[in-house]
Amino acid sequence: MMPRPPSSLRIARRSARAHFTDPSRRRGLLVAFEGPDGSGKTTQRKLFKTWLKSEGYDVVTTKWNSSDLIKPIIKSRKTVRALSPEEFSLLHGADFRHRVEEVILPALWDGKLVIADRFLFTGLARDVARGLDLDWVLKLYEPLLWPDLVFYFAVSPITSGKRVTATRMPSYYEAGQDVTDVPDPVESYQRFIGRVIREYESLALIFNFITVDAEQSIGDQHRQIRQLFLEGQRRPWSEWNADAVAEWLALQGGRR
Amino acid sequence: MSRAKPVLISVDGVDAAALLAAARAALGSPSRGGISRWDASGVFQDLAVADEAAGAPSARTLLLLYAADLAFRLRWQIRPALAEGRTVVAAPYVDTAVAFGRAAGLKAGWLTNLFRFVPRASDRRFVLPAEARATAARDGFVGFSCDRMMGATSGASRRRLSADTAAHLRRAAKRKAPKTRP
Repeated sequence: MMPRPPSSLRIARRSARAHFTDPSRRRGLLVAFEGPDGSGKTTQRKLFKTWLKSEGYDVVTTKWNSSDLIKPIIKSRKTVRALSPEEFSLLHGADFRHRVEEVILPALWDGKLVIADRFLFTGLARDVARGLDLDWVLKLYEPLLWPDLVFYFAVSPITSGKRVTATRMPSYYEAGQDVTDVPDPVESYQRFIGRVIREYESLALIFNFITVDAEQSIGDQHRQIRQLFLEGQRRPWSEWNADAVAEWLALQGGRR
Repeated sequence: MSRAKPVLISVDGVDAAALLAAARAALGSPSRGGISRWDASGVFQDLAVADEAAGAPSARTLLLLYAADLAFRLRWQIRPALAEGRTVVAAPYVDTAVAFGRAAGLKAGWLTNLFRFVPRASDRRFVLPAEARATAARDGFVGFSCDRMMGATSGASRRRLSADTAAHLRRAAKRKAPKTRP
């Protein structure tokens, strides 16, 4: 972002508000799927996307740690197990910011529906479970972009552990071995995911997530998500998002 | 024999070559300790070779990466040397990044929070070039970022960003002038 006088940012905010509240166009919607590994959110995200497309929505999906620019940087450092909790947090914050600017906001501006398979709450839950301060981590993600809906797929640590280890061995960072110091990945995962779920449960209360009982059948969960989406999609545009959109508009240099 | 007192000196500025020269001068004898330089982790080197189609990073993204690199430098270079009672010159350190962020229009509060995990240097120094040299910074964090960042669409806007970073550094140097030493 290049230096802008306050009046210019005010204009960008007004432009953002006018665009997202214009009743003549379909407003972009952001729906986040959150939950621990093994909670089944990816299965539900795929079912939800198929259904939305059949309903005529233009859908864009974005996954955690998937920025073309930052993902290779994170991947190479994970491979050699070279990340401290701070580096882990900051690099994932950079990945998230780049996707917000390159994928999420352009799609929302164009009136699309964005499904985020994990959102910033994943960073918060994992980083705080690694011992970092919630306030520090949350501010890394500013200016905040709030989803219209957050579905939280709730499972117990035991269910998460069973589902993950049934098909594969958890990776070093997934198992939290960088902070548990437990050499066995399965045992470490069990310990670490308990901490992550505790953080998720706190976040669910603070940020008003819609909790889905992910121990139910796949069909029941999907029906519930459809219904909750239909009830929640008419929420007004969140004024909290004005700063994030205004900053992004400034980056576009008048191209929007 | 008593242990030497650890000293952390920061040297900040926009010109990478001038920073290195000032860091060497601040360290004095290499036997006293070492210099911690930008991109020790190789994050920006990786960024430099990324496919253009991956998109350009914004100032905010670049600063998150700078902070990640600084966390790496603290873990592997700065803290271990200080623990051994040695002198470390960090060039650049926090002030360069904050000045760049302010020049790019980011809020001071966000930048302060970003670097909250970083210990304060006991001696803060600044390399403040003349206006003409500040606008020509090509190497180091500021030069790299001005070249690469999203939104810096022309040579003029890059030069302005570099000059504004230097101006913010001048202000920081005035506000936080190092203590006069005997």
